[in-house]
Amino acid sequence: MVFAKRSAKDLIVGKIPFLIALAVLTLLPLLNVGGFWLDVLTKVNLFLLVTLAIDLYSGTTYYLNLGVSFTFGFAGYSLALLNVYYGIPTEYSMLLAIPISIFFSLAILLPSLKIRGVYFAILSLLVPIIFIGIVTAQPFSLYLGGEGGLRFKQLFLDFARSLPPGIRLTFLQYSYYYISLAAAVVGYVIAYKIGFSDFGFMLRAVGQDEELAEGTGINTLKVKVIGFLISSAYASVAGALYASMRPPVTVDLVVPANTLIPPLTSVIVGGLGTLIGPAIANYLLLLTYELLWGLIGRWRVIAYMLLLIIIITIKPQGIVFKAYVEARKFLRGVFSE
Amino acid sequence: MYVDIYKYILLFSIFHSSTYLTFSLGFSMLFGVAKIPNLAYGSLYILSAYVMYALTTYIGLEPLVAALVAILVAGLASLLIGEVVVKPGLKMPVSVFITTLSVAYIFEEFFRIEMGLRPITLPVYPGVTYVLGVPVSNHWFLILSASLLMFLSLTAFLKYAVLGRSIRAVAESWDESRRLGIDPLKVLRVAFFVAGVYAGATGVLLTPLKALTPTAGWGPLFTAFAIVALGGVGSVTGTLIASFIYGFFEQSMTYVLGSGVASISPLILIVLVLVFRPQGLMGRVE
Repeated sequence: MVFAKRSAKDLIVGKIPFLIALAVLTLLPLLNVGGFWLDVLTKVNLFLLVTLAIDLYSGTTYYLNLGVSFTFGFAGYSLALLNVYYGIPTEYSMLLAIPISIFFSLAILLPSLKIRGVYFAILSLLVPIIFIGIVTAQPFSLYLGGEGGLRFKQLFLDFARSLPPGIRLTFLQYSYYYISLAAAVVGYVIAYKIGFSDFGFMLRAVGQDEELAEGTGINTLKVKVIGFLISSAYASVAGALYASMRPPVTVDLVVPANTLIPPLTSVIVGGLGTLIGPAIANYLLLLTYELLWGLIGRWRVIAYMLLLIIIITIKPQGIVFKAYVEARKFLRGVFSE
Repeated sequence: MYVDIYKYILLFSIFHSSTYLTFSLGFSMLFGVAKIPNLAYGSLYILSAYVMYALTTYIGLEPLVAALVAILVAGLASLLIGEVVVKPGLKMPVSVFITTLSVAYIFEEFFRIEMGLRPITLPVYPGVTYVLGVPVSNHWFLILSASLLMFLSLTAFLKYAVLGRSIRAVAESWDESRRLGIDPLKVLRVAFFVAGVYAGATGVLLTPLKALTPTAGWGPLFTAFAIVALGGVGSVTGTLIASFIYGFFEQSMTYVLGSGVASISPLILIVLVLVFRPQGLMGRVE
């Protein structure tokens, strides 16, 4: 076990690739990439947390939790409600929203944890759909903003207003970017530590064969609950940060097509449970999608989806992780000679 | 006056339930065989409606002929989706989830670009009949009888036809059926075609009553999903029962709570049922 862990770790970690990626992402904004790309990169950094949320739990245990978008959006709504109805400034309500969203996700989705296989996926998908229905239906829509959403002051807006008008927007964009980057880096390092800890191996054991795992003395229910808790924490942090930067909060945050499918796709294309694969895929896929907009305009959705279908049908087990391992082996060979 | 409202609720519960039955049947049967939800199912619904629309308005075909062609097109499209997109990922169910979803987006975007967001509609079966003093469009009767016909023919097909029996065998166990000399991939092809025909028939039948836009495929997909979960994966009878529970519950809730909350009330009911009975009403424990 220890040996297996070491060698797997050796192949996957690689401090050098991690540091290179970190350096690129830190220095990129200084190259004057423009407001649009800064916004996109901020979003991609935060989506990394959602990708990790899915990979840490669903990627290891094979319990497909499609309720992630509910947790993500619920954090946003908690933030907005605290702000609008209790007058708590965004900076603090953002922090408060995280435990609230984790608590509600656990309370709502935990009863379904005993359900196995495809039924768990169906049930978890119904949760965001019901939430959207509630938000947009009378009488709840009067309090929750309905289709138009809830408006509030975005993060650091008060401080930005004390700055000279010319640099307000730039300040906001750069501060958001670096916050998202910090969250992504911390999130990745923690995910990595969890993924290759004993606990991470217990999660994988549940995914391999739940009965067998139970037989070897693992309390599978406990493992699943803790795994779920960690996953919800990732999605909540991502949701709270994302919402705080882009008011108003609307159901778009909860719609699975927006906040579930892109990260889930990254996990699948990256390779389930490998962490580094989905992380790389997260950046590659989301940036490709934005690039296509400039290249082919309105046909981008179709082109992107075709690309995904081709990639996934060729390698259903995920392509990025394998490519990464091969590339590292190759580079190691080059440098050792 | 009260009596009238109850009659109305009763009648329209039956009619709405029959629409849910039409679009869940094919989805349910395919889900049972492939063990994977085909998320492109809703796009076959809009595909057949758009094909029929194009054939009747641009070429001027008779509605009945156009409908049959549209249904066939949906069946063939479903077959193609199964071959190209689903088959390579059968060992990795999560990946099929994404690929079929991608297909759904491709259809949606294609129709959005080509047809625009303007809703289209198809010819209604003419005439009105009075039932218990309530005026009802004859089209509702067409849907009701078609849905029952679809249910009965699917049940008979699965029970008596050789291919239908193979479908049930494969749904039971892929390995066992292989041992019996059945080729599961061949059976899967049949299942995809039949499911496509059913989705196509639904599109042609329901579009006259609800205008159709490129995003119209999602509603039926999610409802079918919920109904299959409630009825139990792989059980056609479960689908029938679940459709009627869904329809009656939704219609009565519309009366009690108003239309906003009512549309999601059956989903809440389903979540509660699944928490206590994870395999659905008629599903088997694995």
